[in-house]
Amino acid sequence: MKRLWLIPLLLAALVVPAAVLAASGEGFDGVVRSIEVRYHVRATRIPFLGLVNLIARKATNNGVSSLHVAEFESFSEQVDGEELDRMVEQKLGSGWERVIRETSRQGNEQTLIFMRPEGERMGLFVVNLDGHEMNVVQVSVDPDHLIENLGRYEHPSHDIGHDAGEDAGMTGDKSD
Amino acid sequence: MKSRILIFVLAAAAWAAPAQSQITQLPLPPQVEKELAARASNVTEVTLGKNMLAVAAKFMKGKDKDEAATRQLIEGLDGIYVREYEFDKEGQFSMDEVEQLRKHFESSEWSSLVRERDRKSGESTDVMIKLVNGETHGMFILEAAPKELTIVLILGPVRMEDLGKLKGIGGLGALGDVQKSVHKDKKGGGE
Repeated sequence: MKRLWLIPLLLAALVVPAAVLAASGEGFDGVVRSIEVRYHVRATRIPFLGLVNLIARKATNNGVSSLHVAEFESFSEQVDGEELDRMVEQKLGSGWERVIRETSRQGNEQTLIFMRPEGERMGLFVVNLDGHEMNVVQVSVDPDHLIENLGRYEHPSHDIGHDAGEDAGMTGDKSD
Repeated sequence: MKSRILIFVLAAAAWAAPAQSQITQLPLPPQVEKELAARASNVTEVTLGKNMLAVAAKFMKGKDKDEAATRQLIEGLDGIYVREYEFDKEGQFSMDEVEQLRKHFESSEWSSLVRERDRKSGESTDVMIKLVNGETHGMFILEAAPKELTIVLILGPVRMEDLGKLKGIGGLGALGDVQKSVHKDKKGGGE
């Protein structure tokens, strides 16, 4: 009887953090909902996305799966990059880390790319606003299978890494 | 015994709560970052903490030696941070601010490798390295042009020869050119 008081305390100690974790991350749907509410827009649902998902999974030999897409057309509200970033980060929840953020002060161009490890796979979450169109995409990729598949379409003489280095000149002009 | 269980459970609960709020950030004065971002017309941020570098390394399972070496390099790094600020007009950031950023890394561990100033064009380049027991454990690259400011910070064991290997990672293409520039400076024998 003396130890009975411990039970609710232990339960609370265990349940509270779990509830905090769960509440902090609503995932893809949470992000889409919050964008709808904040910017007064409605997401266009992609028809037959389940089928597309299945085909993508088969076609890439399980390289791509769990595809979620939401498209916002006629996006007219001004977007504060900081606010959007905070909102998405908060709704996505733990595990996700933002790796790339591109933002323009005018607000009509915003890109956020988040990643999270999913065992042997990798989760990618992309929010992209370009003018009046915003796309939100979540996908799970298997690096091994994806590279294998991409390799099939790569020209033997085409070196992506080499091109990237050549194209993005930071000090190249100066050194010449 | 009762109190031990209680301590254990509370400790577990305390551990679980902050785990969700861990965010990898560029170890720079946040105020400078904020001010620059507020004035810039376009901002690009690449933030790859140790966790994400481990994930990125998974994409490098190529059979060739170069890719294996790049993978090994990435796996050993603690973080890669890139900040690129583009401004509408000249003079939207001062050389004092650039100096402030540079000074942030002026400690006994960090030493200047390249310091280039072009008064005519108003461009400047700084490359600093963190030396721990004679080995490079970090690299800081700061490049300023009249309407653009680029900061690259690589934490972990990295050598100048390795920069070219990182250029394949999104947003780090320019590192190959920095490597060339440093080699050129070394051959030229000065700033």
